[in-house]
Amino acid sequence: MEFKDYYNVLGVERGATQDEVKRAYRKLARKFHPDINKDPSAEAQFKEIGEAYEVLGETEKRAAYDQLAKNLTSGQEFRPPPDWDAGFEFSGASSERSSAEASEFFDALFGRMRQREHASRGGTEFHARGEDHHAKILIELRDALEGATRAVSLRVPEIDATGHVTLRNRTLNVEVPKGVTEGQHIRLKGQGAPGIGRLPAGDLYLEVQFRPDPLYRVKGRDLYLELPLAPWEAALGASVKIPTPMGPIILKIPPASPQGRELRVKGRGIPAAEPGDLYAVLKIVLPPANTEKAKQIYEDMARELSFNPREKFGV
Amino acid sequence: MTGETSSTISSEIIEMGAACTIEDLCLVCNVEAEWISELVEHAVIEPIAATGPNWKFASLSIARVAKAKRLRHDLNLNTPGVALALDLLDEIEELRSRLKTLG
Repeated sequence: MEFKDYYNVLGVERGATQDEVKRAYRKLARKFHPDINKDPSAEAQFKEIGEAYEVLGETEKRAAYDQLAKNLTSGQEFRPPPDWDAGFEFSGASSERSSAEASEFFDALFGRMRQREHASRGGTEFHARGEDHHAKILIELRDALEGATRAVSLRVPEIDATGHVTLRNRTLNVEVPKGVTEGQHIRLKGQGAPGIGRLPAGDLYLEVQFRPDPLYRVKGRDLYLELPLAPWEAALGASVKIPTPMGPIILKIPPASPQGRELRVKGRGIPAAEPGDLYAVLKIVLPPANTEKAKQIYEDMARELSFNPREKFGV
Repeated sequence: MTGETSSTISSEIIEMGAACTIEDLCLVCNVEAEWISELVEHAVIEPIAATGPNWKFASLSIARVAKAKRLRHDLNLNTPGVALALDLLDEIEELRSRLKTLG
């Protein structure tokens, strides 16, 4: 497996103090936290940062890691020698990091503590309701408008008979109800972790999120549609045909409409007992001056209309 | 190493109309009731009707409480910090969204 240079990950020197390690971690954690950083690679980076801090932030683990890592560099092929951690005493507290989340490297070095824990469980009769599981489901706006059945793929970490953690792929077909909005949860009873003993399985909660839609921007139950207009339509007013989720309508544009004006069409957003609205956001688009005729018309306008858009600059 | 199982299940949506109780929030988000009260005190979530001990929340509160919990746990934020972070994140999201529309 690949060696991971945790000092590199946190951006600290090998001789950094615990305080320096902690500071570096805290700064990076809030920078890469997936709720804060929307970059697709942020989550993986956040996990790596957390893993690095889990090792370097704890004196015992750091000492063991330093011993091991003396002459290695990031990415190097590596195998932990047997009894590499002999002589180091690790506190019983097991890592919060589930085996499925940890990198192969971390798990090889620090993961076995957890397996020992699980092995010692057997024997006594033990009843517990299964844990609830949480996941996100990504749907198209269309699914929310009309309702749909969507396949959701989940990877569930499980401990198998030999005490190893495996990832089971699970596909569920979920009915997405019409009118669901972002942030709502769909509960699937009994689809969480299995119960132990006689108690039932936990539930699976799916948080609904929309994929970006090519036409509409979604905000709660309201939809925003960018509506391109020709300059004469905005200046003189017009009746234009626009798409809505329920089919096209004719929208009246008032004269003297500025760029960015929002025209509300009541009740044409996401359906519900109280449906959302559709907002047409006006965007004025210039006809290209790519023919002699077009150029002529523009030049006529420039000459005939005394119009200074920069009047307020006063220069 | 990995196996596949497949099944079709109909779901029960946590109804938009229906509300959830403090208990529901605690169960789903795996948090303590005292902390839910704290979130209410900081206006992170608001009960639909101020019916005293029997608070009811819109089901959208679930996502907000889950996010608050992640921020608290991962970044060691106290409750006022969580409240501010959520408000700022909302604003950033809104601005990003508008920027996309402007093209």
